[in-house]
Amino acid sequence: MSRRARIALLQVAAPVLAVLFGVLISSTIILAIHQNPLSVFSLIVTFNLRPSSVASILTSATPLIFAGLATAFGFRVNIFNIGVEGQYYVGGFLAALAGFAVHGLPGVLHVPLIILTAAVGGMAWAWLPAYLRRQRGAHEVITTIMMNYIAFNIILYVLSLVRDRHLGGTARIRTPLFPPSALIPHLAPPLNALGLPIPLYSPLNWFLVGAVLLALAAWFWLRRSRFGYETKAVALNPAAAEAGGIKVARVQFVMFMLSGAVAGLVGLSDMLGRTGYFDIDFPKGLGFLGISVALLARNDPLGIIAAAVLFGYLDRGAEGVQTFASVPREVITILQALIILAIVVVYEVMTRYIRTLRKGEAA
Amino acid sequence: MTLPLIASAIRLTVPILLAALGGVFSERGGVVNIALEGTMIIGTFFGALGAYHYGPLAGALCAILAGAGFALIHAVVTVTFRVDQIISGVALNLLAVGLARFLNLLIFGVATQSPGVSGFPQLSVPGLAGIPALASLTTGISPLIPVTLLLVLGGQWLLLRTTFGLRLRAVGENPRAAESLGIAVYRMRYAGVLISGALAGLAGGYLALEQAHFYLEGMTQGLGFIALAAVIFGNWWPTGALGAALLFGFFDALSLRVVASAIPYQFVQSLPYVVTILVLAGFVGRSTPPAADGVPYTRGETG
Repeated sequence: MSRRARIALLQVAAPVLAVLFGVLISSTIILAIHQNPLSVFSLIVTFNLRPSSVASILTSATPLIFAGLATAFGFRVNIFNIGVEGQYYVGGFLAALAGFAVHGLPGVLHVPLIILTAAVGGMAWAWLPAYLRRQRGAHEVITTIMMNYIAFNIILYVLSLVRDRHLGGTARIRTPLFPPSALIPHLAPPLNALGLPIPLYSPLNWFLVGAVLLALAAWFWLRRSRFGYETKAVALNPAAAEAGGIKVARVQFVMFMLSGAVAGLVGLSDMLGRTGYFDIDFPKGLGFLGISVALLARNDPLGIIAAAVLFGYLDRGAEGVQTFASVPREVITILQALIILAIVVVYEVMTRYIRTLRKGEAA
Repeated sequence: MTLPLIASAIRLTVPILLAALGGVFSERGGVVNIALEGTMIIGTFFGALGAYHYGPLAGALCAILAGAGFALIHAVVTVTFRVDQIISGVALNLLAVGLARFLNLLIFGVATQSPGVSGFPQLSVPGLAGIPALASLTTGISPLIPVTLLLVLGGQWLLLRTTFGLRLRAVGENPRAAESLGIAVYRMRYAGVLISGALAGLAGGYLALEQAHFYLEGMTQGLGFIALAAVIFGNWWPTGALGAALLFGFFDALSLRVVASAIPYQFVQSLPYVVTILVLAGFVGRSTPPAADGVPYTRGETG
């Protein structure tokens, strides 16, 4: 086999190996609780083939595509934006303000307004760490983690100011309900018309289509545009890029802001497609899952779609095994974390091996 | 300022300080450990588990061992396999949540909390315990508080005055030079990460044993990240971490008390995070991390 073919094969084999490693360790855990790993995994496969499961998988994958893209935009230029979590929280909250406070707009205007607000909110929350990194050299990992906590605290406070007072003292704290013009149509009716039996109660909505289109656009843009080329140069060798006339700090800043803008959209599919308000149960942790998704996909926008679907698949499978095999769903959380650890190790070893192969080729 | 407030601040300082002390050791050796939070989670569960079966001392030891064991994964992945330290930390934080839930479900039958456990017998300051006005400060002291103080002073001495400390710092500043002097870089980095795991584990154990008297999911509440901030604010020294942790512990104690006042407690709670950002940006104080902090090292490779 030629070196080139061997390298290509390795790049495909790496994620597969990592998933297998994760499956192997989780099998050990499943064995330890006296269950049969084979029947657990086959249960996941059959359970996940149900139409309701497919809908659920795609519903969970939607925010993960946005979160994965947001993280990847940073990673691709060596920016570790750990703050996607806080950025989508801020984006989601500001979007909620635009959701319930604006009345009388038609849906075709209201929804884009909300999306824009969310993107601007996420970007605004990313701005300070991006600025401090560029101007003062403050490392973005710590500043973004700090910004996450500040976001939760401040929003908790502001939410109590704008909460729906009609609910009285005992009810949960949430914003007033959005008008219908702020809600995103579901995908089940058109899919049913096409003969796909997605259950009508599924909150699967057009944000899935939006997420996929955004990933495609990002893939094309990063591959074909001049700016995309610059990001590649910055990632490979910042010093050489700088010497070649690329403004490294500027490219990183722009990608950091874009990362924040995409992060702002993470919570929208849930808020505009299911709940119709913002409350303290607004989903948390999607930013951190986004990091996992981006890592699994090696920051490739198309790979992110696949990785997000895999995570949605595992989540749904976890529900299945919990209900039908009384295997705790935490086994699947452990599986997800193990896949990430395995994949980063495998990629690292593989990258070094490929480098040795290439050196051999040059010699 | 009242004495109960000070006492409460000291109690809240301990877990931050223990984890921060761990962070100092890890980063002095050149390994950033953002899995402090996850390691604390592991510590809370194993602390409660050990104490439930064999009493508080076993609980503390379990928390220490489990923390070190969990940190071993970080060491293997980042030192031996040279994977990016932030990435490994993120994955470990995810793993800790799943693992603690799973083990608790397996052992105690519910996902989110353990049965109650008893902590260490409490201490009083001899001679002063009888004065009612000082009672909140001089009685009901967890033995882990003086232990933590000793660990900080011992840690400072270890890093400043001993061969081990000098070697660990050399590895964090310039691993190549250290290696050329015959220091085993990988071994020192493993040591730093394992110490950090043991201390962060104990920090979690303290929460379960001494504060809540049981394990509760999410009881670490991001203290591991505050500890990370205390490492930076304390300029990567144990005594510096002590000062920073005290400040953060005080904010925390204060935020519990301003609930009824005009200042929203969420703002007070955000202060440690704001301070950390200011420190990192160089607006307050000066922070100089170890030169090779966060940089994977490849043994025997030139350039």
